[in-house]
Amino acid sequence: MYILNNFEYFAPETRSEALELAKKLGSKAKILAGGTDLIIQLKEKMITTENIINISGVDEFKGISCEPGKGAVIGACTKIADIEYSEALRKKYPALSFAAGEIGGPQVRSMATLGGNSCHSSPAAETPSPLSALGAIVVISSKSGDREVPIEEFILGNRKNVLAEGEIVTKFVLPEPAPKSANRYAYIGLRNAMEIDAVNMAVNLVLENDGETIKAIKLVMGSVFPRPLISEKIPALLIGKKLNDELVEQAAEVAQSEAKPITDVRASAEYRRDVVATLTRRLLKEAYAAAKEA
Amino acid sequence: MTKKYEVSNKYGNYTDYKREFTEVGRSIPRPDGPAKVSGATVYTDDMTVPKMVYGRILRSPHAHALIKNIDYSKALALPGVLGVITGADCPIVYGIVPHNSNEHALAQEKVRSWGEGVAAVAAIDDETAEKALELISVEYELLPVLTDPREAVLRDDVRIHEDRPFNIAHEGKQRYGEPEKAFAEAAYVLEKDFYSSYVNHGFIEPQSAIADFDPNKGTLRLWATCQVPHYTHQQLAKVLDMPLNKIRITVPSIGGGFGGKGVASQADFCAALLSRKIGKPVKITYERSDIFATNNGRHPCYMKFKMAFDKDGLITGVDFDNLMEGGAYAGWGIVVLFYTASMVHIPYKVKNVLFRGRRVFTNKPVCGAHRGLGGVQPRFAMEQMLDEAAEHFGLNPFEIRMRNAAESGHTCASAMYVPHTEYKKCLEVAVKNSDFLAKQGKLPFGKGIGMSGGYYISGTSYTLYLSYKPHTVATIKVDEENGVTLFCGSTDIGQGSNMVMAQMAAETLGVKSENVHIYSMDTSVSTFDLGTFASRVTFATGKAIKQAAEKINQELFPVAAAMMECRGDEVAVKDYRFYSIYEPKKKNVSWDEVVTRYIESNGPLTATGQFTPPRRKGLQQGGNIGHSPTFGFSCQIAEVDVDVETGRIQVTKITEAGDCGQPINPMSVEGQVHGSIQMGLGQALYEEMKIGPDGKFLNPSLHDYKMPTTLDMPDVHATIVEAYDPSAPYGGKESGEGPIQPTIPAIFNAVYDAIGIRFTEMPLTPEKVLSALKAKKAAEMKA
Amino acid sequence: MKTQLIELNINDQIYEIPITPVDLLVDVLRKKVGFTGTKKGCGQGDCGACTVLIDGKTALACITLAIACQGKKITTIEGVANKDGSLHPIQQSFVEHGAVQCGFCSPGMILSSKALLDSNPSPSELEVKRALSGNMCRCTGYILILEAVHAAAEKMAQAGVK
Repeated sequence: MYILNNFEYFAPETRSEALELAKKLGSKAKILAGGTDLIIQLKEKMITTENIINISGVDEFKGISCEPGKGAVIGACTKIADIEYSEALRKKYPALSFAAGEIGGPQVRSMATLGGNSCHSSPAAETPSPLSALGAIVVISSKSGDREVPIEEFILGNRKNVLAEGEIVTKFVLPEPAPKSANRYAYIGLRNAMEIDAVNMAVNLVLENDGETIKAIKLVMGSVFPRPLISEKIPALLIGKKLNDELVEQAAEVAQSEAKPITDVRASAEYRRDVVATLTRRLLKEAYAAAKEA
Repeated sequence: MTKKYEVSNKYGNYTDYKREFTEVGRSIPRPDGPAKVSGATVYTDDMTVPKMVYGRILRSPHAHALIKNIDYSKALALPGVLGVITGADCPIVYGIVPHNSNEHALAQEKVRSWGEGVAAVAAIDDETAEKALELISVEYELLPVLTDPREAVLRDDVRIHEDRPFNIAHEGKQRYGEPEKAFAEAAYVLEKDFYSSYVNHGFIEPQSAIADFDPNKGTLRLWATCQVPHYTHQQLAKVLDMPLNKIRITVPSIGGGFGGKGVASQADFCAALLSRKIGKPVKITYERSDIFATNNGRHPCYMKFKMAFDKDGLITGVDFDNLMEGGAYAGWGIVVLFYTASMVHIPYKVKNVLFRGRRVFTNKPVCGAHRGLGGVQPRFAMEQMLDEAAEHFGLNPFEIRMRNAAESGHTCASAMYVPHTEYKKCLEVAVKNSDFLAKQGKLPFGKGIGMSGGYYISGTSYTLYLSYKPHTVATIKVDEENGVTLFCGSTDIGQGSNMVMAQMAAETLGVKSENVHIYSMDTSVSTFDLGTFASRVTFATGKAIKQAAEKINQELFPVAAAMMECRGDEVAVKDYRFYSIYEPKKKNVSWDEVVTRYIESNGPLTATGQFTPPRRKGLQQGGNIGHSPTFGFSCQIAEVDVDVETGRIQVTKITEAGDCGQPINPMSVEGQVHGSIQMGLGQALYEEMKIGPDGKFLNPSLHDYKMPTTLDMPDVHATIVEAYDPSAPYGGKESGEGPIQPTIPAIFNAVYDAIGIRFTEMPLTPEKVLSALKAKKAAEMKA
Repeated sequence: MKTQLIELNINDQIYEIPITPVDLLVDVLRKKVGFTGTKKGCGQGDCGACTVLIDGKTALACITLAIACQGKKITTIEGVANKDGSLHPIQQSFVEHGAVQCGFCSPGMILSSKALLDSNPSPSELEVKRALSGNMCRCTGYILILEAVHAAAEKMAQAGVK
């Protein structure tokens, strides 16, 4: 299998070069970072392009900055493997680390980037769910400057996002986790590796000073909707309460009712709904227990 | 001479022993290992030959359609394209079972499955060939699609093959003993339906063929990923209408076969036809989607099983109705059908059997030979039914199997003869090693342990086409320049047969395995062999090699005796020394010296051995199939963890005990067991080729056809039980297709132990488990 | 589309290779440089047979553009053995432990193993399994491969080999 579609190739070395090219070529160019989605799509003739701009050589687009009290800033071209193995990220944002570690296999994680995972905008994408739960902001850059978009507004669904011509995602900004909070991620797939999630879920739970009452909660489901689905009913159900078994059950039912999964080659809608309930139960309990210790 | 110098002294019943094996039984690392780990080994796609060009096959996107027109003019006009062929260029039919063959290299007037080849292109490079495919336009007239054999067998209005009413490719009935009486008088009759799934071999190396037709000599040279060069040789001769002796097939290293490369592939034919057309060598290498399109994997079976038992839990009768799905063409079908019939006769004693089987065409990529063919499906059913019957009788799964197990010297109702078995030992060892009896029925809900037995043939008694010639020939040449050279056409597909042949030759000749040169896998240079299938290679080549090696020894022993001044029948040879068996220390002479003396006084030294399995006549239709000179046996015990909230199953451990007689290379045996378990695990839980209602293939990639990864494999504890089959060369029996037989039923039996639900369909996905658990809970709530 | 000459550093040698931007690394390695040790199993990044190392990290050559590899150090299976041609401990271990049957997955497996042991000289069982979870094998069931990697790690630690 070959790429039969001819394209011009550019490998900018600086941020301004990259943005200049993006502006000049607009929709006639595709951005290459890790290539684990793009190259496959080109080989399988799902897309064609006249130009490819390889931004993986731009140092300003890479890197993890994660200092105590200062949230995190992750360059869009940061490799998934680097996110998986970052101790600093794992301590603050275990949901993101864990999600990163479950993408494909080790080779894919060595090649793929955080930006690519979101820009590909597949409904089954792994990192958008925890990024959303964590309140991440996507920084979109162009020659005209930067703009910021919450991740859940960035992805429109089914491989579409809000990137306009000449724009490149350059970094992700994560707020510092609140005190007495915990974030967790879970997923279900058929095998234990090289899987595309049938369902995934991320939870970010904040407790009040009493260490028991839920102050804030964001639960995001992936693969059950064209884009990451933020539960609206669960915060309504749980905020101001102390988690108990009954509430966990109710939350599971509620999440189930909100999910709108489809039946595809990987799983049926009914199964996905069942799993949403199970993951909700498990994630809530896990996050709550962890938040209590935080 | 009556002495048996190869008998292992570990097998207590044999008093006539002279020494232990020195070469057989060694876990020698394979000599091709260093090249393989260095990337130096040459596989077919690694090869280039001078002037070689590249070919590709255009495949149908429709599952059932008439081809109204193929216009490839634009393709031919593309710079770099050298030739195009279509079905019109290959009208001659072929098939691995010649008397009912119905396949063509490219579709003839209609396509019968998604991905069937309709045209092939040759171009100066691979990219151009791929581009050219897009420029061929084919006009199809769609026909109704049949994707379910249960429907296909009722639809005579949609005939996939005109000459097959109700799409029945083959039908068979067998009746042994008095099954009706057995069922009428049974203390217990168990009836159940089972479904075994549509899976693919999943070898990592795609098929590849380089065909070089020399227009000046009228000869064809083929390098191909082929397990059965002889059958391919015959079929190429047929399709190209050329004499056999103008065709030479050489098989470079193969990256896995498992039966899927046990047919001539369309790559072979299309490359040859294109090469002949354009006068240049043509290479065709498959993409992964081509592999799924041509499939040749396991036949799905809708099985209706009935088993009759007496009051002691002994099987008195089996009634097996098999609706077997064959896909679009004949392929190995008739053989597989009758193998399913034969597989109910062993490893348990069954006197009364009724079999009815139908192999049915559907509009899906054809099914064929797949590791353990014809066995995996009925084994799946029988081993679960035994567990269920055990429960009824208040026996545990081990007990019921021990009671019913066949023993050495058993003759089946079908006249299949089992010269040797340690099946009971396998059961005992596996049960002991896994602590089965302490765990079964006693683990917490969600955790379970289950067992299964299995067996397989060590070669078939008959060729796939009527012939009386030897199935295997081995020639050994001994000279000073090379030492020992062995010629035998068997095919090493990665299972290590080259090493095993060297070990067997070295054992008898008294030399070292590593120094034996092997010329295999070439129809010209090597001596005749039928190929690698039906787990025949070790046994068949072993017999031929032993015969040839003994002849060599017969020539050398008298010379050695004269040099040592002892009697000719008192000579033995080991570690490159001939010695007197009564005075080994005083009278011995080096192998090299004896060889030199022989050649200088007698001349060149070569010897040929051969083997043909005994022609056991089948008693009934298809009854020839299933006979084998001997059989391998095993028992596997699986332990599972079921996540009852998601239905996910984790197989945590598999304990295995196998009887392969004397293992020729124990490390290779172990490798076969592990690989079999991976494949069985995949079919049990993850793998399935999914076809839509319109016949389109939904997951023709390794992305969504899910084979087990490192993280999915359980711990495996495998034991080779002490055994020696005196009827087998060097005591060794098969271990390539037997170990996959128990894997799937062991897992399913373990799941039953874990959650009390019996599943009868593969694959056992989390969805099916969760659904069943919910239904069970709902039923319990009602009660 | 214009063919251009690029320089690729493969196994510590600089090769000047004519390519077009659409050429994939696996094809350039196999056909233009002649290193056929890197295998094509699926072309879609699912089997790992095309695994190479780029700057010491694993990558799938079938979905990597050759042109994007300029300025990087590519290691293929042909570059794993010692300078004198003797086998690297990982390769030796694979041979000795029966981890090689048909051999088609072996180059990719060995490179994934090398990447692991180069960065994590004493990995746990789970770490080895995870590191090889992107390399499909159909012959061995992985068990002897995992054994071989652990044995190699021990040998390398003893010998102080890198």
